[in-house]
Amino acid sequence: MLEFDGLHKSYGANHVLDGVGFAVAPGSMFGFCGSNGAGKTTTMRIAMGLARADAGEVRWGGTPLDDDVRRRIGYMPEERGLYPKMRVGEQLAYFARLHGLDAKAAARASDEWAERLGVGARRKDPVEKLSLGNQQRVQLAAALVSRPEVLILDEPFSGLDPVGVDALAEALLDQCRQGVPVVFSSHQLDLVERLCDSVGILARGRIVASGTVTDLRRREAGRLLRVVVPEARPGWAAALPGVRTVSEQAGDTLLELLPGTDDQAVLAAALRTGPVRHFAWREPTLVELFREAVADEPTEVAA
Amino acid sequence: MTAGTRPPSSAAMVRLVAAREASSRLRDKNFLIGSIVIVVVLVGIMAFQIAASSGSEQARLGVVGEPAEVEPALQSQADVLGIDLSVVRLDDDAAARAAVEAEDVDAALLDPAGPRPELLLPGSDAQLEALVGGAVTNASIGGQLAAAGVQLDVPELAVTPLEQDEGGDQAAAVALISVGLLYGLLIMFAQFVAQGVVEEKSSRVVELLLSTMKPWQLLAGKIIGLGVLGLGQIAIIAALGVGGALAFDLVDVPGDLVGTVLAVVAWFLLGYAFYAALFAGAASLVSRQEDLGSVLTPTSMLLIAAFVVSIQASADPGGGLATVTGFLPGFAPMVMPVRMAAGEAAAWEVGLAALLMLVAIALVVRLGGRVYAGALLRTSGRVKLREAMRAEHA
Repeated sequence: MLEFDGLHKSYGANHVLDGVGFAVAPGSMFGFCGSNGAGKTTTMRIAMGLARADAGEVRWGGTPLDDDVRRRIGYMPEERGLYPKMRVGEQLAYFARLHGLDAKAAARASDEWAERLGVGARRKDPVEKLSLGNQQRVQLAAALVSRPEVLILDEPFSGLDPVGVDALAEALLDQCRQGVPVVFSSHQLDLVERLCDSVGILARGRIVASGTVTDLRRREAGRLLRVVVPEARPGWAAALPGVRTVSEQAGDTLLELLPGTDDQAVLAAALRTGPVRHFAWREPTLVELFREAVADEPTEVAA
Repeated sequence: MTAGTRPPSSAAMVRLVAAREASSRLRDKNFLIGSIVIVVVLVGIMAFQIAASSGSEQARLGVVGEPAEVEPALQSQADVLGIDLSVVRLDDDAAARAAVEAEDVDAALLDPAGPRPELLLPGSDAQLEALVGGAVTNASIGGQLAAAGVQLDVPELAVTPLEQDEGGDQAAAVALISVGLLYGLLIMFAQFVAQGVVEEKSSRVVELLLSTMKPWQLLAGKIIGLGVLGLGQIAIIAALGVGGALAFDLVDVPGDLVGTVLAVVAWFLLGYAFYAALFAGAASLVSRQEDLGSVLTPTSMLLIAAFVVSIQASADPGGGLATVTGFLPGFAPMVMPVRMAAGEAAAWEVGLAALLMLVAIALVVRLGGRVYAGALLRTSGRVKLREAMRAEHA
């Protein structure tokens, strides 16, 4: 288990982290979401020993992370960085060796990962000659090349084209299948939704929602109802008690039902307008969950 | 899953970093061109020395008749005067005159063993006159004594050329050339360290590096890797210089030359450790190569000042300025070799200067390392020195 436990960090008067905690099981993927400046990068930097937590710790397999454990973690910093004038293959081998592989294993791993991430043909080129997308792939290869036990990736998908996204997603899923816990942060919530077993949403230094995507959905579900009634006149649902019309377009209506409202009453009303083509609870997307979670906090505090 | 993986020791990490630094520099075209230029300049200086020294110290002397009697006397005189003399046999006076006029020989000696020896010269040449005069006199005295049946037991004269002054001058000249070289190499390699630090910061690769190692390991690897390269370069130059000087006989006292060069190499190591740590600490404060110049100004000024003082010291190695700055860490690596070469520095003075230097290195490495560690991850803009000292891994 990779555990982030009660992390606190402040820079001067600015409390960046205020008790961040979550756990990632081996072989599962954890998506780390949050608006800019929410503290994702700081959390990951603390895990990698690049920043010191004021309180709390990060554990892998029950032991707090130290330099030896960190060497077995593949890391991709938010600020991308490689030696611009060093060749791709040599660079990957160098990072593999820094993580403790011997020269031969490092060279082999370098070749393998350059190939797998589609930059095999550019092994002999200096990194600065590569396109930004390919540099990004090399960066990922640098995180993966040491056969890490844990992966911590800060915005790994940003800047990749769809093909690159697929290649990376496949590589990460493959790592998961081998039992590696993967933590990555991303603004691309559709990707997080597609790839992750569980999600944590960070806002103002705290995890405001976490769990599997299904769990989160269930929490928010039962509120949005999509009804398609092609022959209904506009505003057909306005008079129904406990129902608020979220959107309406040519009979395709999204309704929010207040707690206690009978959905069968809504169905009856819909049938009165003519044929009903669609009637179902709508699962909120992660984007909606995210907005909800991030927006909820101040109102809760205010209330 | 972790097969082939074992936690590398600190030494292994430092070695990995050092190897990368050295190999990436060795592939740098600018570095290679710079190194070749230094060697070419050095060879040029030596060629100039050879050309300048060859004319005056060689002489061809024509001797009429049988030279066997006077040749040993001529050669021993030539040795004393430091002239490389070759003796040519000529048939008669007319041939001698012709040879001198044709400049086949520098001078011709007529009737060497007879009662009226005569030296033919194109013009006046005090050195040759003294040489031949002395030789003829010696040969004549020897001959007359032998004819009188006197067996003289002449004590063999041990010749000790009292050329200490000239030897000292030469050593000082070697020291000055060496100090120039030392300055060039120090500023070059200290700059390399500084550029390397900023390159890692500006490319942000430093964050990835620091997730696998401590700042001091990175700094140590960088300084050692480039230091080995610098040492290699100075060793090649020194070997070339000493070898060339000995092969072409440019120096009178080879022992002094070797001693001076060894001292310069040793002081290079001390100076490099000091300035590399200083430059690295300063460089870590900025994140862009463009800002490097301004932040390196104070440290470069120190190095330049040391160089200027060392030139002054070579003119007056026993003077107050040279004596004081010889002990001053930072100045000592440039000034001390000059003083040592001039024979002005006692052993205890050298020892004390080296000790002070080592203490200063220990201090600068700690301080520079701390600034480096504190400033390394602050990749936005310029970090204030005090902030970096306080931060140390915030």
